[in-house]
Amino acid sequence: MDTLSILLMGFISIVVVNNLVFTKFLGICPYLGVSGRIDMAFGMGLAVTFVVTLSGTLTWLIDHLLLIGTPLEVTRYVCFILVIAGAVQLVEMYLRKFFPSLYESFGIFLPLITTNCAILGLCLFINLWGIDSLLEAVVLSFGAGIGFTMAICIMAGIRENLDLADVPDCLKGAPITLITAGLLAMAFMGFAGMIR
Amino acid sequence: MQQSWLLIVASFCFGLLIAVTNAALSPRIRQNEINKRNSMVTVLLPGANDFILMEEQIEIQSLQGKMEKVEIYKAMSAADECVGWSFEAVGSGFADKIKLVIALDKNFEKIAGFDVLSSNETPGFGDQIKYDYYRDQFKGAPAGELKLVTIGERSKIDSEIVAISGATISSEAVVEIVSNSIMKVKEQMRKKGIIGNDKQ
Amino acid sequence: MTNSNVKTSRYWQTLLAGLWRENPVFRLLLGMCPTLAVTAAVKPALTMGCCVIFVLICSNIIVSLMRNLLKPHLRILMFTLTIATFVTIADLFLKAFVPRMSETLGPYVPLIIVNCIIIGRAEACASKNPLLISVVDALGMGVGFTVTLCVLAAIRELLSTGKIFEIQLMPDAFVPWAAMSMPVGAFITLGLMLGLVNIVAGRKA
Repeated sequence: MDTLSILLMGFISIVVVNNLVFTKFLGICPYLGVSGRIDMAFGMGLAVTFVVTLSGTLTWLIDHLLLIGTPLEVTRYVCFILVIAGAVQLVEMYLRKFFPSLYESFGIFLPLITTNCAILGLCLFINLWGIDSLLEAVVLSFGAGIGFTMAICIMAGIRENLDLADVPDCLKGAPITLITAGLLAMAFMGFAGMIR
Repeated sequence: MQQSWLLIVASFCFGLLIAVTNAALSPRIRQNEINKRNSMVTVLLPGANDFILMEEQIEIQSLQGKMEKVEIYKAMSAADECVGWSFEAVGSGFADKIKLVIALDKNFEKIAGFDVLSSNETPGFGDQIKYDYYRDQFKGAPAGELKLVTIGERSKIDSEIVAISGATISSEAVVEIVSNSIMKVKEQMRKKGIIGNDKQ
Repeated sequence: MTNSNVKTSRYWQTLLAGLWRENPVFRLLLGMCPTLAVTAAVKPALTMGCCVIFVLICSNIIVSLMRNLLKPHLRILMFTLTIATFVTIADLFLKAFVPRMSETLGPYVPLIIVNCIIIGRAEACASKNPLLISVVDALGMGVGFTVTLCVLAAIRELLSTGKIFEIQLMPDAFVPWAAMSMPVGAFITLGLMLGLVNIVAGRKA
């Protein structure tokens, strides 16, 4: 089935080949901040996946129903960011009411996600790539979240081991994380050209 | 809420600001887009003075299997004669999408050349699709199926394109984009009678 | 006379803080995403830096003027709205006057909206201080950010192509390190620069 293969290729491409963190430099701030431990990293990753899928879908809908081809197109950035902020608020309220335990475990991550460049970045990329179908937008957003989760969990695993290594003082913390991220980016480069 | 008036006033003012800036700058922005494409094609089709968008809609199936609309421009000389055709084509390269502008001669028989509108290929390797030694192989090549070869004579102009050493995937991508789009567009244009065996 | 001296030195301090002591990228660790993305060459870095200066100053002005009217739960929304507006304007200007650069920068210009530096300064400085100090702070942070970007971009561009601004600086025998212009180079250069800054700052303290 053509649609299915397009969707599958799109999903794999955004998780691995065009991973948001390693090739598009999105989501670095939480990436550096939260990748200390695997459980925190996983929680953040899940929260991001949740929000990004929702935002990606909503912004695609707004883009195609309201913005493209109309004079309102110039307000795209304002609309997107408001939708994302609104979506995060909604998710927060919904979780707090119906899944309090889940809300507790997400903790402070949820409000931080609004300024996560990955969310706005993905919505803009979906617009840039001219994605035509809602299903494809949903799959790509979900894939982006999964890619981010994977990236942050790998990093968390490595950092847990780094804690035991003998890192020079000046490099402790952000610098060594960045260098590790660089090496990971290089590793992921091996996937380039996989999907055509 | 008393504070919501601030939000409403602010939104209104900001909206106005954006609208004014947009109105002031959008003709310039549109002109920039047109200039960019035109300047590239004028290099490939010397003598082209003006570009007219064809009214007939052409839809071709892209390499990924999706149906996409193609805007075909007819290049006219100062004497109002057709000197060639040009259109844009997109495909996936090694790293990201490659966007090309392709120009053909007036009979749609030979390729006048292509230029890269945007690409994100590896610098020093795949990026060489922008270089003259690779692009020159397309100038004068037959407007039909092109084949990528790894060894060959670059200066021989035919349907074989010699790849960039160390950048097979990027070279292959460009060959596929050019081949596929030219063949499909040609087919559509023949069907609509725009070009034919004895059209001007 | 003493009063105005104190004031002037306070302005100077705020201005210089953005350059070194509170450098947004190296010390505050904010705004990393555009830092990594646009520093492949010096021109995009400079353009991005100028945009950020523009947006920072405008948003700080507006927020500072509005600071007495803002109530807690609307604050962030107002900041976001202001910043989004000015980023849209900056993007339009880029598309109109430097279209090539606008394409190179791509989606990273609208990403200035979520750049933590701008929201951070609006929150920390402009919402609490009068107009002039807010502007000076914006200028300091903006210039600090731009200088940082340009330094990183210069290193990466020099090592990956041997040129800066198209001027050949490295000897002909130099083999370019293509990796520098790719994500790998971005991460590693930033990481090493951060380490360097830590050493220098550590020594000063």
